[in-house]
Amino acid sequence: MKRIATAAIAAGLTALGLDPAAAQTKAPLTILRVIDADRYDPIRSTATAAVEALFMLADTLVSLDFDLKTVKPLLAKSWTVSPDGKTYTFDLRQDVKFCDGRPMTAADVVYSLKRWIDPAARSPVANRAGKVKEISAPDDHTVVYELQEPFSDLLYQLTLAFASVVDKASVETLGANFGVQGFNATGPYCWVSWTPRQELVMKKNPYYNWGPPMYQNPSPQVDQVVWKVVPEANTLMAAMQAKQADLTYYPPLFSIDTMKRVPGLTVQQQPDYIYDVFFAFRVNKPVSDDPAIRRAANMAINRDAIVKAVYFGHGTPLRSLLSPAVLDYDAKAAELLPHYDPAGAAKVLDEAGWKPGADGIRAKDGQRASFIVYGLRDDQNPRISEAMQADLRKVGLDMQVQLWDATVGWGKLATQEFDSFMMSYPYGTATEAMNLYFKSTQAPTPNRMNWKDARTDQLLEAAATAVDPAKRTEANAELQRQLTEANVWIPIATRQLWLVSSDRVGGARPHGLYGAGLYKGLDLTLKR
Amino acid sequence: MGETVAVTSGNSPHAGFALARRASLLRVLLGEPVGAVALAAVVLLVLAAVFAPWLAPGDPYGGDLADTLKLPGEAGLLGADGQGRDMVTRLLYGLRTTLAMSLAAVVIGCGIGGVVGFAAAYYPRVSGLLMRSMDVLLSFPAILFGLALAAIVGPGIVAVVIALSIATVPLMARVVRGSAVVVMRQDYIEAARALGLRDRQILVKYVLLNCLSPIFVFVTLRFGQVILLGALLSFIGLGAQPPTAELGAMAADGRNFLFFAPHVSVLPSLLIFLVVLAFNILGDALRDALDPTLRR
Amino acid sequence: MWRNVVQRLLLALPVLLGVLLLGFLLMQVVPNDPAVVRAGPTATVEVIEAIRRDLGLDKPLAVQFGLYLSRLLRGDLGISNINNMPVATELGNTVGPTLELMVASLVWSIPLGIAMGTVSAYRRHSWIDRIIMAVSVAGVSVPVFLLGLGLVWLFGFYWQVLPFTGRTGPIWTLEGLAGIALPALTLGGVFVGPVARMTRSAVLDVLGADHVRTARAKGVGERAVVLRHALRNALIPVVTLIGLQIGFLLGGAVVVETIFSWPGIGRLAVGAILSSDAPMAQGTIIILSVGFILINLAVDMLYAVLDPRVGQT
Repeated sequence: MKRIATAAIAAGLTALGLDPAAAQTKAPLTILRVIDADRYDPIRSTATAAVEALFMLADTLVSLDFDLKTVKPLLAKSWTVSPDGKTYTFDLRQDVKFCDGRPMTAADVVYSLKRWIDPAARSPVANRAGKVKEISAPDDHTVVYELQEPFSDLLYQLTLAFASVVDKASVETLGANFGVQGFNATGPYCWVSWTPRQELVMKKNPYYNWGPPMYQNPSPQVDQVVWKVVPEANTLMAAMQAKQADLTYYPPLFSIDTMKRVPGLTVQQQPDYIYDVFFAFRVNKPVSDDPAIRRAANMAINRDAIVKAVYFGHGTPLRSLLSPAVLDYDAKAAELLPHYDPAGAAKVLDEAGWKPGADGIRAKDGQRASFIVYGLRDDQNPRISEAMQADLRKVGLDMQVQLWDATVGWGKLATQEFDSFMMSYPYGTATEAMNLYFKSTQAPTPNRMNWKDARTDQLLEAAATAVDPAKRTEANAELQRQLTEANVWIPIATRQLWLVSSDRVGGARPHGLYGAGLYKGLDLTLKR
Repeated sequence: MGETVAVTSGNSPHAGFALARRASLLRVLLGEPVGAVALAAVVLLVLAAVFAPWLAPGDPYGGDLADTLKLPGEAGLLGADGQGRDMVTRLLYGLRTTLAMSLAAVVIGCGIGGVVGFAAAYYPRVSGLLMRSMDVLLSFPAILFGLALAAIVGPGIVAVVIALSIATVPLMARVVRGSAVVVMRQDYIEAARALGLRDRQILVKYVLLNCLSPIFVFVTLRFGQVILLGALLSFIGLGAQPPTAELGAMAADGRNFLFFAPHVSVLPSLLIFLVVLAFNILGDALRDALDPTLRR
Repeated sequence: MWRNVVQRLLLALPVLLGVLLLGFLLMQVVPNDPAVVRAGPTATVEVIEAIRRDLGLDKPLAVQFGLYLSRLLRGDLGISNINNMPVATELGNTVGPTLELMVASLVWSIPLGIAMGTVSAYRRHSWIDRIIMAVSVAGVSVPVFLLGLGLVWLFGFYWQVLPFTGRTGPIWTLEGLAGIALPALTLGGVFVGPVARMTRSAVLDVLGADHVRTARAKGVGERAVVLRHALRNALIPVVTLIGLQIGFLLGGAVVVETIFSWPGIGRLAVGAILSSDAPMAQGTIIILSVGFILINLAVDMLYAVLDPRVGQT
């Protein structure tokens, strides 16, 4: 029945000149994703949706290998660091050209980096550049990056899209429309057009042959790339299976096993991916300010069961403050994280004076053990929060869930209304993660826990300004132990990155820096 | 734009005589097999919703994650949802929430809309202003209201009820005004005025009672629409929030598993379908029963 | 008749002003801060404050509304708070596909609905009447997204005969038609039922009316009675229904646009409100209400054509 109907309809469409298979040949490389970015200006766009495209449109001084740890050359052939750790000198390639054909010089790099840290530019990520003293270009192919104090994370931060080199003339001509109506940089692909919420079209940069060394081919092989937004998960999955698109790394988790079985689809995982999901307490709110509550909550959550059910086996339970894959991960700190033990959790609460009330929810001095959690309404959070809610209720803790659509959510997560929150984030080093969230000066956002602790600040400073890697590791280790013992966070899971490609595509390999699954998009080829 | 109202055919002048036959309405309705079945279905669904806590075999909010997405028969009669909760239980509680939510929206929306409609019919001086305001509401899509409200009070049942009420007000106002204007032209209203009856007495005793049948039909049909609109709001994440069991939210959230555990989304959709179907058929049957020209 | 049109248009102006004010106030009470939205999740308070000043959000409300109206009168819809795109450009990009989708949905569903309703009324109480009404009522009672996803699964995935990931070209080309087929089938599918039911009851109403009885008495055949007399008068409530259902259609359109990645105005409006992008939200509200007003005006004009008596009142 199916075959007859298929044949009949296909024949009908062919008669109309509408052969669905023929329509696909010679089509541009189509990448599916679920959400678009607000704009594509490197210093203003912090969403993965912007970063994943910017890596293809623009280059950075240095690049990151597929292990997501090793810094490699890109625009800079090589670099040196002064013994005091305050001066970085980059030696630039001299064959780099912008999409409009103009050769790139050190002045372009200096302009772009200064634009990033200029307070007037309002970059939300300027603090990632470290405490800059001066950035200068002594000659056309040398850039000197001087810091007020050492910044151990600098090279890694310079691999991110925020540090992209862009064309000054293009920025000034387009003004606020830079990255909206046009873009000019030195990436492997060039901006063609953008239709918000629909598609971003790029074409091959004809001059490009300076791809980073971890790729086999330094030049792009695909003429045109279309990033297409398909907001509905079921549609995205069906589109991949029906070969209406070539690549995606946003497959719905439930579909991964199915996709693996579809002939002509290849599914690959990035084993070194770091994108953590955590739950965090506000430490300055009643109930959640009690370390006993936080510890008990950490013991009450059956992390493994939740991750298994919610991620369909395609998420990794996170049993430490930071991912074990990250630089400076401390195994001893991980041992301090309480194990799943509901009976123990009840005991901790009993001892701290939280007694069960008539409705099963505990109370202490007239205060109910109840707290509100805010989070974004993505594919997993509703289910994670519901499961946590059920686990917590079993030990007498009442968690009220309030999830928000992404765009409303960030505003809501900047308020003082909630007692706890759920979040997920990509990061590369322990220094980066903990400086972002635990520094007292980062409160109230992004330090939404309002964690203000002198010892923490001291250690964060020590890790960030360490010149000796051993000292940095040591400071980061102590930080992880302190924060784990305080139970400020309940680590939940590390997301996995799965790249699905059709048999029309060759050379696809998942990368995943800042969530960008294709990074520079080099080595990709189209077979048909 | 507000001058011509024909939302239901019950607006025909014959509707004015419905009052006299009110007592026999139920008999007429039960005389039609389709109407009788629809009425029985509605009664049954309402009873199931009211007695959900006693009928449900399990806990609507506590599930066993080991049962996640079990198919019907594997765990419980109708399987388990994405949290391993029993589907029968979820459906019963979901029905309860959905009916309560829609009832609230219809009662509030039709209440306000009815008052506005009667006022516009009875006081021609304010009619223009009132009906223009209704036009403003009408040309403001309900879904955008829902969104804004969700941002203000937080997404959830309250936002849905307010949004759906607001979307119902102008429609109800039009229906009521349309039929009330027809009634107002009748001689007995003149007579009542001449007798010196006060406005409120006339409105309640004559106008309201004689408009009852189109109102009744509208409310019944609107009930079904409101349930569907609620499901629509859930689709974009504005409906009931987890872990609340609500049919629209269950159907919308469950669609993530549509292709391999379809029961999680399809069963609540089916129940929505049944509820809306029952109310629609009941509305149609009511209309047929109330409109003598359609009967043979 | 033209005087009537002008009169109606003038009457629509205060309604439009009301819509504008309502939209503006709504966007004000929405507690999201566009500055926060724009700054992103890891921004610090200083950056958020600076962006808020840049956007002019620190001025008093009345001033903001006054400025907005005066710009609007000069034809300037403003630019998006979020991505700096001119509102007019974004509207221009989305209105076309939305109109296409509406037309493609209505162009098959309304005639089909009217035909089904007429047949149903003509053959009332027969088995064909019961089947048609069962299908119609069922059609009204299905959640849109289930219908849409079902079609994706059947035509796009199982049979793999139609594209379903967005607009594929202008509607007058074959590619465009293939691309719009599934969205139009979904959105129109919701419409067939109400039209059929309304037509049936309206035709039945008219069949009982005096002038139809007269025609019958004169010996005009039943088929001719239905087609010539009844259907024409029955179209009036049907046309009204269409005018009123446009709002509901938009709700369905948001779902259809999401499922089929259709570049329409529904998702633009939803996104703008969610991200507190006031200029963009206002722009979409204006377009949607003007559309609603114009459609209802057209409906009223159709009355005059269908029933000359209405035109005089």
